[in-house]
Amino acid sequence: MFRLNLKIALRNLWKNKSFTLINIGGLSIGLASCMILLLYVKYEWGYDKQFTNYKNTYIIYTNHDTGTDKTSYAWTPALLAPELKAKIPGVKYASHSSYPEAHLIGNGENSFKTNAVFADNDFLKMLDYKFLQGNPDQALQKVNTVILTATLAKRLFGNEDPINRSVKLDNQDVLKVEAVIADLPKNSSIQFEYLLPWVLFENKNPWMKDAGWQAMICLTMLQLDDEKTFGAASQLIKSIYERSDPKSGNEALLHPLSKWHLYADFQNGKSVGGKISQVKTFFLLAFCILLIACVNFMNLSTAKSEKRAKEVGVRKVIGSTRKMLIAQFIVESFLLTILGLILAFILIEASIPYFNQLLNTDLIIDYTDWTSWTALMVLTLFTGLIAGSYPAFFLSSFEPVKVLKGFGKAGGSSLPVRKILVVFQFVFAACLIICTTVIYQQINYIKDKPIGYNKDNLMEINLVGALQGEGKFKLLKEQLLKTGSVTSVASFSRSINRMGQRAFNISWPGKPKNGDILFNYRFAGYDFIKTIDAGIIMGRDFSANFNDEKNVLLNQTAVKVMGLKHPVGSMIKWGDGNVTIVGVVKDFVIESPFEKTLPMIIGHNDNNSAVAVLRLSPDQNLSNSIAQIDAVVNGINPGFPVERKFVNDNFEEKFNNEKQLGIVANWFGGFAIFISCLGLLGLALYMAEQRKKEISIRKVLGASNINILSLLNKDFIKLVAIANLIAFPAAYVIVSKWLSNYDFRVPITLIPFCAALLISLVIASLTVSIQSVKVAKSNPVDALKYE
Amino acid sequence: MIELKNIEKYYANKGVKSYILRHVTASIKQGEFVSIMGPSGAGKSTLLNILGMLEEPTYGQYEFMGEDITSLNERKRIELYRNHIGFVFQAYHLIDEMTVAENIEAPLLYKKVSGAERKSRVADVLDRFNMVAKKDLFPNQLSGGQQQLVGIARALVAQPSVILADEPTGNLQSAQALQIMDLFKKLNQEEGITIIQVTHSEVNAGYGSRILHLLDGVIKEDVTVEQTV
Repeated sequence: MFRLNLKIALRNLWKNKSFTLINIGGLSIGLASCMILLLYVKYEWGYDKQFTNYKNTYIIYTNHDTGTDKTSYAWTPALLAPELKAKIPGVKYASHSSYPEAHLIGNGENSFKTNAVFADNDFLKMLDYKFLQGNPDQALQKVNTVILTATLAKRLFGNEDPINRSVKLDNQDVLKVEAVIADLPKNSSIQFEYLLPWVLFENKNPWMKDAGWQAMICLTMLQLDDEKTFGAASQLIKSIYERSDPKSGNEALLHPLSKWHLYADFQNGKSVGGKISQVKTFFLLAFCILLIACVNFMNLSTAKSEKRAKEVGVRKVIGSTRKMLIAQFIVESFLLTILGLILAFILIEASIPYFNQLLNTDLIIDYTDWTSWTALMVLTLFTGLIAGSYPAFFLSSFEPVKVLKGFGKAGGSSLPVRKILVVFQFVFAACLIICTTVIYQQINYIKDKPIGYNKDNLMEINLVGALQGEGKFKLLKEQLLKTGSVTSVASFSRSINRMGQRAFNISWPGKPKNGDILFNYRFAGYDFIKTIDAGIIMGRDFSANFNDEKNVLLNQTAVKVMGLKHPVGSMIKWGDGNVTIVGVVKDFVIESPFEKTLPMIIGHNDNNSAVAVLRLSPDQNLSNSIAQIDAVVNGINPGFPVERKFVNDNFEEKFNNEKQLGIVANWFGGFAIFISCLGLLGLALYMAEQRKKEISIRKVLGASNINILSLLNKDFIKLVAIANLIAFPAAYVIVSKWLSNYDFRVPITLIPFCAALLISLVIASLTVSIQSVKVAKSNPVDALKYE
Repeated sequence: MIELKNIEKYYANKGVKSYILRHVTASIKQGEFVSIMGPSGAGKSTLLNILGMLEEPTYGQYEFMGEDITSLNERKRIELYRNHIGFVFQAYHLIDEMTVAENIEAPLLYKKVSGAERKSRVADVLDRFNMVAKKDLFPNQLSGGQQQLVGIARALVAQPSVILADEPTGNLQSAQALQIMDLFKKLNQEEGITIIQVTHSEVNAGYGSRILHLLDGVIKEDVTVEQTV
């Protein structure tokens, strides 16, 4: 029975090749989209869950009370980890580690600048990386040791055995390779290529020893014995700052490692979500697209109903029960689903490298993992059932006497259902078009918004190695200016587009009690404002003509929040020292361009800066300038590769998240529209079949092809228009909710809505016309003959 | 075997009843060969459909092998289709996606006959109808007469007690039609299968043992045919 069903299903599919093609095509695109999105969701969901005891591992967040609310960050004092391990019962391991930072590591001439983390042995106990060589129990205990990842080991030593070989860190410290670990999975929050011992970190930064409880300099991670101890431990840990440093008003918070990536947003000291909402959206999107594909399938199958009706009647008359018929149609739908699945796999394998590149992920189909197979089975069953259920129940309900007598109106009742299904598809497609348009509008809006300085022709050079030396920056500046390729040079304590360096420790006359405000603080050298071309509102830039050691610049926002009437010349307190304001700068964007600018204070310091900011001369040829700059930098700092970057490029990176979202919405929106159009095509095919006679009669009575065409297309245009009307309010709610995440947002205009209406109408009428032109052109005799 | 008592069938349209069948009472015994005749619109096909339980009468009582059909549920009805009734249609109504052999085998599948027996019965029927060579062809590769032979073979293979045929030769040329009627007669006489057919043709009706003349939904005549052919 089953075999015969299968055989008949195959013959049926073969006989209606175009239907089969549309069906399988739609299903496979739907399945492929769904699976890629699910893979992405799984990938994001699996963040930091590679480690054996991730469930009992926590990141310590510091909640800082500002008086009005709390800010939270995963930075802690170095003293915290030993304190936790010694005093809190139930703590199995506690580690301090640095955040990943690029350092130069080299084997002779062969050197690379790449991310390193300073950590201790407990770090390795909690994050049990796979050791390819070496012993995890003793690792990171001696000062001059290093653990390499497999890739870095290969880059440094080729195929030679790296163990016990020595490498040089920052052209300074000689370290012995004590272990090699497998490369880290990309969906792990802490990314590095080599691990260095914490003791080395302390040796390199001697001030850290006395830094005390105020200095938030490292990441603290801890692991509890088991889940039961969490309640007691977290209570004790919460007040650990208070016991050690009563003044600070800080609280420690345990945040599960597994939630670190997806729940990174904090409000008032509590986790309030984060990227999880995007992941949830993608999860929903995955099923919506699949559902659209299923709807398609239903539409196409029921459209074929006339052809199948006779078969149903005959089968019933020779003794088939309805159940048996349902079984047969379900078999057919499963067959199609499985064929679609095979095609989907081909599509996925072909497109996954592209998506990985777009989304900067590491998605793979793990063919050895039984969970993914189970998921796949469930997905297939689900699709097969959903897609097959309607045609199965619909077709099997035909009464034999009606269909055998010759077709009357047995199929007529199904049309409203099918129309509703098509409307549903287009509601979804129109929503996606609107969302995509708004995402791109928002990105462009923020990009075009003035950022307060001129980022074109602005270059940064990392000050590393010898460039860090006393007086070397001055030398560099002189030599660069002499080449004529740059018009202005200034030092800055952090790459312009990098976040961080925030503090509360600023007070001013009239500051309310408990009125701590979070400031961005930076240090800049002479001519900084001139170099980046930001506007000075009052006062002056740092200048070599003055002694600016105790002077600071503020930005506009800072002046506003501090409420200073005459900022220039006033004295304020920064940390323990008094400083004088010499200038007020127009706000310029250094953090997220989507958010309001924080108040900023810029101190003066020409040494120990992280970068040199260069304004390139517009008159010079770019490649010439770069060659000259490289020559100068190499002359002063021979051991290091020149690290230069255009500020423009750095700035682009700030849009990565939004661009990613835009790309995903664009692609999958496109797929949704495509699949919906296939559904529409199916409906058009059905309609053409149904109205063949009517059209023939109209033609005989003298209707022209254009008359017929508009008659046929009118109904579909109506459906798509209705779908758009339903989509508009829904999309409006979605985009306004999305936009409310941003401080600066593009106003919602009519453009995206018009775009959706236009795009869907044009695509839909083109699709329908493929079929209706054929019908309109057909010879009326062919249809009338059969009556 | 078949008892019809006062069967009525009408469609109500805006309060106006249009009758298809009125006061049809008839009794058909096992082994009869009945032809239902009458002009277009007389209700022949409706009567046959009621006999085949494809349609329900509006009023009246219908007993099939002593069972009251009007109160029969779906499951029971399907049981009757499987075991006692074979249909033959004017338009053959073979399943296009199945080969000749598969078409013939289908009722046995629904009847849950074992594989080996199915094979032998299908082979047997094919042999009897001289269609062994055509068993792997699809319906659209056969002529009309051949398709109708397959249709009859399919109706026969489940060994029904009655065959209901709705103008079985309506689409056929006369030579083929005669062949089909000969077959019916043979089945009726040699195997004792009850046959009820709807037909326009006096010649075809002549093959049977009894003719019911229908006019405007009423049985006008019920005659026994002299076996002269």
